[in-house]
Amino acid sequence: MAEEASKRIHFPIHSLIDVIKARRQGLEIAIAMGFPQAEANKVAVVISELGRNIELYAGEGSITLTTYTGRGGYIEVVAEDRGPGIPDLDLVLDGGYTTSNGLGLGISGSRRLMDEFEIQSTVGQGTKIRALKRLR
Amino acid sequence: MEAMELSEIPAIQKLENLLLVAVPRDLTDDDVLRLRRQILQETRRYRSHWVLLDFSRVDICDSFFGRFIQSTARMARLMGADVIVSGLQDAVVETMVDLGMTLPHIHAVLDLDDALALSRENQPLNQSMDGRDADEPSASSASSANESMGWETSDVGWAEV
Repeated sequence: MAEEASKRIHFPIHSLIDVIKARRQGLEIAIAMGFPQAEANKVAVVISELGRNIELYAGEGSITLTTYTGRGGYIEVVAEDRGPGIPDLDLVLDGGYTTSNGLGLGISGSRRLMDEFEIQSTVGQGTKIRALKRLR
Repeated sequence: MEAMELSEIPAIQKLENLLLVAVPRDLTDDDVLRLRRQILQETRRYRSHWVLLDFSRVDICDSFFGRFIQSTARMARLMGADVIVSGLQDAVVETMVDLGMTLPHIHAVLDLDDALALSRENQPLNQSMDGRDADEPSASSASSANESMGWETSDVGWAEV
Protein backbone atom coordinates (compact mmCIF):
# COMPACT_ATOMS: atom_id res chain seq x y z
CA MET A 1 0.00 0.00 0.00
CA ALA A 2 1.08 3.55 -0.68
CA GLU A 3 1.98 5.68 2.26
CA GLU A 4 -0.45 8.26 3.54
CA ALA A 5 -0.08 11.13 1.07
CA SER A 6 -1.91 13.71 3.13
CA LYS A 7 -0.01 16.19 5.29
CA ARG A 8 -1.08 18.93 7.59
CA ILE A 9 0.92 21.91 8.81
CA HIS A 10 -0.40 24.31 11.39
CA PHE A 11 0.76 27.93 11.65
CA PRO A 12 -0.30 29.91 14.70
CA ILE A 13 -0.70 33.55 13.66
CA HIS A 14 0.16 36.22 16.20
CA SER A 15 2.03 38.74 14.09
CA LEU A 16 2.89 39.71 10.58
CA ILE A 17 6.14 37.78 10.82
CA ASP A 18 4.05 34.63 11.32
CA VAL A 19 2.08 35.47 8.19
CA ILE A 20 5.25 36.01 6.18
CA LYS A 21 6.65 32.67 7.35
CA ALA A 22 3.42 30.84 6.57
CA ARG A 23 3.10 32.25 3.05
CA ARG A 24 6.72 31.52 2.21
CA GLN A 25 6.40 27.95 3.40
CA GLY A 26 3.12 27.64 1.53
CA LEU A 27 4.85 28.75 -1.66
CA GLU A 28 7.63 26.20 -1.20
CA ILE A 29 5.23 23.39 -0.38
CA ALA A 30 3.04 24.12 -3.41
CA ILE A 31 6.05 24.17 -5.73
CA ALA A 32 7.36 20.94 -4.23
CA MET A 33 3.93 19.37 -4.89
CA GLY A 34 4.25 20.20 -8.56
CA PHE A 35 2.08 23.30 -8.86
CA PRO A 36 3.21 25.66 -11.62
CA GLN A 37 4.95 28.75 -10.25
CA ALA A 38 1.96 31.01 -10.90
CA GLU A 39 -0.46 28.69 -9.10
CA ALA A 40 1.90 28.28 -6.16
CA ASN A 41 2.20 32.05 -6.09
CA LYS A 42 -1.58 32.40 -5.86
CA VAL A 43 -1.70 30.02 -2.90
CA ALA A 44 1.00 32.09 -1.18
CA VAL A 45 -0.90 35.32 -1.78
CA VAL A 46 -4.11 33.81 -0.42
CA ILE A 47 -2.24 32.72 2.72
CA SER A 48 -0.92 36.27 2.96
CA GLU A 49 -4.31 37.95 2.53
CA LEU A 50 -6.11 35.65 4.96
CA GLY A 51 -3.24 35.80 7.45
CA ARG A 52 -3.21 39.58 7.31
CA ASN A 53 -6.93 39.66 8.03
CA ILE A 54 -6.41 37.47 11.09
CA GLU A 55 -3.63 39.70 12.34
CA LEU A 56 -5.51 42.90 11.57
CA TYR A 57 -9.00 42.11 12.78
CA ALA A 58 -8.69 39.27 15.27
CA GLY A 59 -5.14 39.80 16.56
CA GLU A 60 -4.47 36.08 16.50
CA GLY A 61 -5.63 32.86 14.98
CA SER A 62 -4.18 30.17 12.81
CA ILE A 63 -3.58 28.99 9.29
CA THR A 64 -3.58 25.31 8.51
CA LEU A 65 -2.30 23.90 5.25
CA THR A 66 -3.42 20.47 4.20
CA THR A 67 -1.87 18.85 1.19
CA TYR A 68 -2.86 15.74 -0.65
CA THR A 69 -0.53 14.43 -3.30
CA GLY A 70 -2.37 11.38 -4.57
CA ARG A 71 -4.85 11.32 -7.47
CA GLY A 72 -6.87 14.52 -7.36
CA GLY A 73 -4.16 16.26 -5.37
CA TYR A 74 -4.76 19.61 -3.78
CA ILE A 75 -3.58 22.14 -1.25
CA GLU A 76 -6.10 23.49 1.22
CA VAL A 77 -5.74 26.65 3.28
CA VAL A 78 -7.87 27.05 6.39
CA ALA A 79 -7.73 30.37 8.21
CA GLU A 80 -9.43 30.51 11.60
CA ASP A 81 -9.83 33.12 14.26
CA ARG A 82 -12.03 34.02 17.21
CA GLY A 83 -12.19 37.63 16.20
CA PRO A 84 -15.12 39.99 15.66
CA GLY A 85 -16.51 38.12 12.64
CA ILE A 86 -17.62 39.65 9.36
CA PRO A 87 -20.94 41.51 9.68
CA ASP A 88 -21.78 41.73 6.00
CA LEU A 89 -20.31 38.87 4.04
CA ASP A 90 -21.89 39.91 0.76
CA LEU A 91 -20.18 43.29 0.86
CA VAL A 92 -16.82 41.70 1.55
CA LEU A 93 -17.24 39.13 -1.19
CA ASP A 94 -18.14 41.84 -3.70
CA GLY A 95 -14.76 43.45 -3.07
CA GLY A 96 -13.80 47.05 -2.53
CA TYR A 97 -15.25 47.02 0.97
CA THR A 98 -12.86 47.49 3.86
CA THR A 99 -12.93 48.79 7.39
CA SER A 100 -9.17 49.19 7.42
CA ASN A 101 -6.88 51.00 5.05
CA GLY A 102 -6.56 48.03 2.77
CA LEU A 103 -7.75 47.76 -0.77
CA GLY A 104 -10.72 45.59 0.10
CA LEU A 105 -9.34 43.00 -2.27
CA GLY A 106 -8.22 40.46 0.31
CA ILE A 107 -11.22 38.18 0.44
CA SER A 108 -12.87 38.87 -2.91
CA GLY A 109 -9.49 38.58 -4.63
CA SER A 110 -8.50 35.44 -2.74
CA ARG A 111 -11.70 33.82 -3.88
CA ARG A 112 -10.75 34.47 -7.49
CA LEU A 113 -7.34 32.91 -6.99
CA MET A 114 -8.59 29.54 -5.74
CA ASP A 115 -10.77 26.68 -6.99
CA GLU A 116 -12.92 26.44 -3.86
CA PHE A 117 -13.64 29.11 -1.31
CA GLU A 118 -15.94 29.02 1.73
CA ILE A 119 -16.51 31.42 4.58
CA GLN A 120 -18.18 30.74 7.88
CA SER A 121 -18.37 33.80 10.08
CA THR A 122 -20.40 34.68 13.15
CA VAL A 123 -20.31 38.20 14.52
CA GLY A 124 -18.70 38.20 17.93
CA GLN A 125 -17.45 34.63 17.59
CA GLY A 126 -15.01 34.42 14.75
CA THR A 127 -14.33 33.50 11.18
CA LYS A 128 -13.26 30.38 9.38
CA ILE A 129 -12.26 30.50 5.75
CA ARG A 130 -11.44 27.45 3.72
CA ALA A 131 -9.79 27.74 0.32
CA LEU A 132 -8.56 25.01 -1.96
CA LYS A 133 -6.53 24.72 -5.12
CA ARG A 134 -6.33 21.54 -7.14
CA LEU A 135 -3.33 20.08 -8.87
CA ARG A 136 -4.19 19.51 -12.50
CA MET B 1 14.63 36.49 8.37
CA GLU B 2 14.64 37.87 4.90
CA ALA B 3 13.11 41.06 6.18
CA MET B 4 16.62 41.94 7.33
CA GLU B 5 17.61 42.37 3.73
CA LEU B 6 16.55 45.97 3.92
CA SER B 7 19.29 46.91 6.32
CA GLU B 8 22.01 44.74 4.85
CA ILE B 9 21.91 45.68 1.21
CA PRO B 10 21.67 49.25 0.01
CA ALA B 11 18.22 49.09 -1.48
CA ILE B 12 18.33 52.57 -2.99
CA GLN B 13 20.78 54.01 -5.50
CA LYS B 14 20.90 57.00 -7.78
CA LEU B 15 21.15 56.40 -11.50
CA GLU B 16 20.98 59.47 -13.76
CA ASN B 17 17.67 61.13 -12.93
CA LEU B 18 16.32 57.86 -11.59
CA LEU B 19 16.13 56.70 -8.02
CA LEU B 20 16.68 52.98 -8.30
CA VAL B 21 14.98 50.99 -5.54
CA ALA B 22 15.62 47.26 -5.35
CA VAL B 23 12.53 46.21 -3.44
CA PRO B 24 13.38 43.39 -1.02
CA ARG B 25 11.09 40.41 -0.56
CA ASP B 26 9.15 39.57 2.60
CA LEU B 27 8.95 43.08 3.96
CA THR B 28 6.96 43.67 7.11
CA ASP B 29 4.64 46.66 7.24
CA ASP B 30 7.23 48.54 9.30
CA ASP B 31 9.90 47.80 6.70
CA VAL B 32 7.59 49.08 4.01
CA LEU B 33 6.96 52.33 5.86
CA ARG B 34 10.66 52.80 6.41
CA LEU B 35 11.48 52.06 2.81
CA ARG B 36 8.86 54.53 1.60
CA ARG B 37 10.24 57.28 3.80
CA GLN B 38 13.73 56.52 2.60
CA ILE B 39 12.54 56.75 -0.99
CA LEU B 40 11.03 60.18 -0.40
CA GLN B 41 14.15 61.44 1.36
CA GLU B 42 16.44 60.24 -1.40
CA THR B 43 14.12 61.61 -4.06
CA ARG B 44 14.59 65.03 -2.52
CA ARG B 45 18.29 64.58 -1.99
CA TYR B 46 19.04 63.60 -5.58
CA ARG B 47 16.22 65.65 -7.09
CA SER B 48 15.17 62.50 -8.90
CA HIS B 49 12.55 62.76 -11.60
CA TRP B 50 11.79 59.08 -11.58
CA VAL B 51 11.49 56.50 -8.85
CA LEU B 52 12.17 53.06 -10.22
CA LEU B 53 10.78 50.26 -8.06
CA ASP B 54 12.52 47.11 -9.19
CA PHE B 55 10.56 44.02 -8.20
CA SER B 56 12.92 41.38 -9.61
CA ARG B 57 13.48 39.95 -6.16
CA VAL B 58 9.86 39.96 -5.05
CA ASP B 59 8.10 36.64 -5.54
CA ILE B 60 4.97 37.22 -3.43
CA CYS B 61 3.00 40.39 -4.05
CA ASP B 62 -0.20 40.65 -2.03
CA SER B 63 -2.70 43.51 -1.97
CA PHE B 64 -0.77 45.26 0.77
CA PHE B 65 2.22 45.47 -1.56
CA GLY B 66 -0.06 46.91 -4.20
CA ARG B 67 -1.10 49.58 -1.76
CA PHE B 68 2.55 50.33 -1.06
CA ILE B 69 3.25 50.88 -4.74
CA GLN B 70 0.21 53.13 -5.08
CA SER B 71 0.93 55.23 -2.04
CA THR B 72 4.59 55.59 -2.94
CA ALA B 73 3.58 56.79 -6.39
CA ARG B 74 1.17 59.36 -4.98
CA MET B 75 3.74 60.71 -2.58
CA ALA B 76 6.53 60.79 -5.14
CA ARG B 77 4.30 62.72 -7.51
CA LEU B 78 3.83 65.41 -4.92
CA MET B 79 7.59 65.81 -5.11
CA GLY B 80 7.59 65.94 -8.89
CA ALA B 81 8.72 62.39 -9.51
CA ASP B 82 6.95 59.57 -11.29
CA VAL B 83 7.13 55.91 -10.41
CA ILE B 84 8.21 53.17 -12.77
CA VAL B 85 7.78 49.54 -11.79
CA SER B 86 10.15 47.04 -13.34
CA GLY B 87 11.03 43.39 -13.16
CA LEU B 88 7.68 41.94 -12.11
CA GLN B 89 7.91 38.17 -12.42
CA ASP B 90 5.47 36.30 -14.68
CA ALA B 91 3.88 34.44 -11.78
CA VAL B 92 3.55 37.64 -9.78
CA VAL B 93 1.88 39.44 -12.67
CA GLU B 94 -0.63 36.65 -13.14
CA THR B 95 -1.54 36.68 -9.47
CA MET B 96 -1.80 40.47 -9.29
CA VAL B 97 -4.24 40.63 -12.16
CA ASP B 98 -6.38 37.73 -10.93
CA LEU B 99 -6.44 39.32 -7.49
CA GLY B 100 -7.88 42.44 -9.11
CA MET B 101 -4.86 44.65 -8.63
CA THR B 102 -3.96 47.28 -11.17
CA LEU B 103 -1.54 50.16 -10.85
CA PRO B 104 -2.95 53.51 -11.87
CA HIS B 105 -0.53 56.37 -12.62
CA ILE B 106 2.36 53.98 -12.80
CA HIS B 107 4.57 53.00 -15.68
CA ALA B 108 5.50 49.37 -15.86
CA VAL B 109 8.49 48.15 -17.86
CA LEU B 110 10.13 44.80 -18.29
CA ASP B 111 13.58 45.57 -16.96
CA LEU B 112 16.14 48.22 -16.10
CA ASP B 113 17.09 48.82 -19.73
CA ASP B 114 13.54 49.78 -20.58
CA ALA B 115 13.25 51.90 -17.46
CA LEU B 116 16.37 53.84 -18.40
CA ALA B 117 15.13 54.29 -21.95
CA LEU B 118 11.81 55.60 -20.66
CA SER B 119 13.40 58.04 -18.27
CA ARG B 120 15.76 59.35 -20.94
CA GLU B 121 13.02 59.88 -23.49
CA ASN B 122 10.34 61.40 -21.33
CA GLN B 123 9.70 64.07 -18.81
CA PRO B 124 7.76 62.86 -15.83
CA LEU B 125 4.03 63.27 -16.33
CA ASN B 126 3.48 66.10 -13.94
CA GLN B 127 6.37 68.31 -14.96
CA SER B 128 6.68 70.86 -17.66
CA MET B 129 9.98 71.30 -19.44
CA ASP B 130 11.21 74.20 -17.40
CA GLY B 131 10.47 73.29 -13.87
CA ARG B 132 8.29 71.44 -11.47
CA ASP B 133 4.94 72.88 -12.43
CA ALA B 134 2.05 70.59 -13.06
CA ASP B 135 0.00 72.86 -15.29
CA GLU B 136 1.56 71.93 -18.58
CA PRO B 137 1.22 68.23 -19.12
CA SER B 138 3.96 66.62 -21.10
CA ALA B 139 2.98 65.40 -24.52
CA SER B 140 5.22 62.40 -24.21
CA SER B 141 4.03 58.92 -24.89
CA ALA B 142 4.33 58.20 -21.22
CA SER B 143 1.34 60.34 -20.38
CA SER B 144 -1.11 58.07 -22.09
CA ALA B 145 -0.54 55.38 -19.50
CA ASN B 146 -1.67 57.78 -16.87
CA GLU B 147 -5.37 57.86 -17.24
CA SER B 148 -7.45 54.82 -17.51
CA MET B 149 -6.55 52.32 -14.89
CA GLY B 150 -8.07 51.94 -11.49
CA TRP B 151 -8.47 49.30 -8.86
CA GLU B 152 -11.00 46.79 -9.99
CA THR B 153 -13.29 46.28 -7.12
CA SER B 154 -16.63 45.14 -8.36
CA ASP B 155 -16.26 42.30 -10.79
CA VAL B 156 -16.17 39.37 -8.49
CA GLY B 157 -16.28 36.12 -10.32
CA TRP B 158 -14.31 33.01 -10.87
CA ALA B 159 -11.22 33.63 -12.85
CA GLU B 160 -10.55 31.15 -15.58
CA VAL B 161 -7.26 29.54 -14.77
